[in-house]
Amino acid sequence: MPSTRVDRRQFLTHVAWGTAGLTVASGVRPSRAVAATYPDWIAASTKPPKRGGALARASAWDPPVIDPRLTQSVGLFQFAGLVCNRLVRHPFADEASGPGDLALKGDLAESWQGSADARIWTFKLRKGVKWQNVAPLNGRELTAADIKYCYEGYAKEGVQTFTFQEIEGIETPDKHTVRIHLKTPNTLFPHNLAEPVAVIFPKEVLEEDGDLKKRMIGTGPFTLKEHTRKVRVVLARNPDYFDAGRPYVDQYTILSTPDAATRLAAFRTGQSDIIWLASLSEVETLRKTNPNAIVQAYHNTLTPFGVALAQDRPPFNDVRVRRAISMAVDRQKQLDTVFEGHGILGWGVPYIYYQDKAPTAKDLGPWWQYKPAEAKKLLAEAGHPNGFQTTLFYYEYFPQMTSQVQLVQQDLKRNLNVDVKITKLDYTSYYGRYVEGKWDGMSWGFQSGHAVGLDERTYHYMHSKSTKNFFRVNDTVVDELTTKLRQTSDRAEQRKLAGKIVEREYDQVLRMWMPYSNGFLVVQPHVRNAAAGAMRRTDAYGSPTIARIWLDK
Amino acid sequence: MHKYVIRRLLLAVPVLLLSSLIVFGLMRVMPGDALIALMGEGGNVGAKELAKLRNDLGLDRPYHEQYAIWVWQMVTFSPGHSIFTNEPIGVSLKKAIPVTLELAALAMILGLVIAIPVGVVSATRQDTAPDYVGRIVAVSGLSFPDFWLATLVITFAAIWFHWIPPIGYASFWESPWQNLQQFLLPAAVLGFRLSAATMRMTRSTVLEVLREDYVRTAWAKGLAGRIVVYKHALKNALIPVVTIVGGQLGTLLAGTVIVETIFALPGMGRLTVEAILYRDYPVVQTNVMLVAATLVTINLVVDLTYAWLDPRIRYR
Repeated sequence: MPSTRVDRRQFLTHVAWGTAGLTVASGVRPSRAVAATYPDWIAASTKPPKRGGALARASAWDPPVIDPRLTQSVGLFQFAGLVCNRLVRHPFADEASGPGDLALKGDLAESWQGSADARIWTFKLRKGVKWQNVAPLNGRELTAADIKYCYEGYAKEGVQTFTFQEIEGIETPDKHTVRIHLKTPNTLFPHNLAEPVAVIFPKEVLEEDGDLKKRMIGTGPFTLKEHTRKVRVVLARNPDYFDAGRPYVDQYTILSTPDAATRLAAFRTGQSDIIWLASLSEVETLRKTNPNAIVQAYHNTLTPFGVALAQDRPPFNDVRVRRAISMAVDRQKQLDTVFEGHGILGWGVPYIYYQDKAPTAKDLGPWWQYKPAEAKKLLAEAGHPNGFQTTLFYYEYFPQMTSQVQLVQQDLKRNLNVDVKITKLDYTSYYGRYVEGKWDGMSWGFQSGHAVGLDERTYHYMHSKSTKNFFRVNDTVVDELTTKLRQTSDRAEQRKLAGKIVEREYDQVLRMWMPYSNGFLVVQPHVRNAAAGAMRRTDAYGSPTIARIWLDK
Repeated sequence: MHKYVIRRLLLAVPVLLLSSLIVFGLMRVMPGDALIALMGEGGNVGAKELAKLRNDLGLDRPYHEQYAIWVWQMVTFSPGHSIFTNEPIGVSLKKAIPVTLELAALAMILGLVIAIPVGVVSATRQDTAPDYVGRIVAVSGLSFPDFWLATLVITFAAIWFHWIPPIGYASFWESPWQNLQQFLLPAAVLGFRLSAATMRMTRSTVLEVLREDYVRTAWAKGLAGRIVVYKHALKNALIPVVTIVGGQLGTLLAGTVIVETIFALPGMGRLTVEAILYRDYPVVQTNVMLVAATLVTINLVVDLTYAWLDPRIRYR
């Protein structure tokens, strides 16, 4: 009779095989076919909305300050757009035809019109809009003078000066008319006023307090009931909101939750109604405990991150070097491995402004294809047959970024013998060095995440004279095209010009974009009308859409 | 005794002065600009605006002036305002200190409640199953990092029990039940780690004391085992344990940074880390000095405790 006894060696062998098997099994990633099962848009509910209930969200962000003149931080604008309004806005989830619907709608303005030369913009305000019934405003009516005061305040100091210093003067011919004179023509100016950061604040608070750091009062659907730093922001329904009947929920609470695992646990246990997840595997794991959660597979229209090259000095002032570097990076590998296939290859101007579908690898042009041999040849032609040494500094905005940086380093070493010395910095060191713009070599650069409009994404970020031109683009063709774009009112012509700007950017490798995650918006099964629009994540800069959410329970 | 205390307090002055110089100097040599961070990611940071802000905040003065002003502020207990939020630092501390104190106190209590009985059992039943279990638990406590354990606890609590502590801090006076729910798990995580070192120290010192002559005499007198262990052995074994516990308070304060972040508690740890990230000089400097002063005080209290535990000890 054979012995059934297992000796130590056999036992360890079995354990090893078992462990290996489990590791392989647990490491199998969900296929991309699963990602496709989640819709990229959640249409508005056809049921009549119900009033009442409370909505909550565990949030990674905390507002550094609540003064909209001093920051464009998502921590602030995850709720500032719910307390305050803008003159114009983009469509909410329940009125948009899809994620790419960016038609401007009136917010505080009822209508608006530009002069033939696009230098004078006249806005007619809604009548009867009241400030929230909180001292010192006490529910007084909003007037044109308020808009003038606010925009002049933005122009005077803070992070929005570039946008508002474009204004030459503001007239208020009557209580409900604002006439804005620009220094130079800009057909896209109303789009700048629709940016989520361009919220209208009251003069009384600024004059009484000297700043806007202590109180936030607006005309929006919610009043700021509580803001306890690092704990919570509580918004209560504004019963006097001009859009009668809205918002639907009585209270919206944002819970400061810096840890990702805790945010996930909060969603699992129902303490949070909305969560943003970066990868498909996270969604699949969550759905094991919350199978009825509603998932929107988000599709980014641009990436905010890429490799910024010091293109104003050698070796990156040579376009051949930039092209060689770009061709030596395997973007598809980053997309497949780091973002599990749910991401974009990377481009900086939202594609919806110049074409209907997301760009394919081919659309990005010859210098964006992974061609190591050609890259090497080009670099040799540029006088660097043996590569060179350079540096790259970055701040880890999200965990996958470090993997991306390392993959780029490997690609450049293997394909071009370019030695990249990586320095990982904390946020403040990175930010200071990056925006100061005096660095050499490379940086993992960013462009602001808040902007929706075409003007912001082109002129503001690419014109050589712009203070937001962090990638140090200095190209006369781009300067001409971005300026011309602002002078063009015809939509079709605007699309053509935007396309030309992008083509020029690709051709000259002015900003070397890198792949970026698409992410998933996940909401509890009873949450309606929460879909995230392009560049308007419901949990972030697209938060005003929360005024349209209702709870089906 | 009084002379000893006064001498120790006087000795604390150069320690605190040195700490203040180190933290002030480190904050100034660290790369990164608080004001650029303050301006956010908008990018419209003009040189003129930066200069004005620097002037408003007194950051354009020579370092020795800035240092002198800050030391004076500390001495007069008016540490100024946060660069970042403009909130008075005293107000921030008033909110953060009770959170960290509560967490640290609960963790310490839980840690001691576990560590001392288990350590004693481990020592009195050396090389038996309870001893092995106690030692395994102790080694685990030392080996598992706080962030790992805390993440695991919160994740599995959500999956298995569909429950996690309510997010959004409530003070004990506002809502005692919610407050206890919020603190129990983080205190347990921190306490587990604390208990490990204390348990090992208790075990080894009790083992040592149990071999002393006077303990043998106590056994010979026919005293009950409980009396011998707890009255005669344990009290004498506690001096090294008290030293360890005192020293662990520093570790505990460091551990709260991670645990406060994971359990979303707005304590000193989160306040300090955020201030470091944003180069909020006045907040970092004040918090570090507060921690330094706390550690100096704890060390003094620990030293004074020795005399209570062992009457043979005299201070001169």
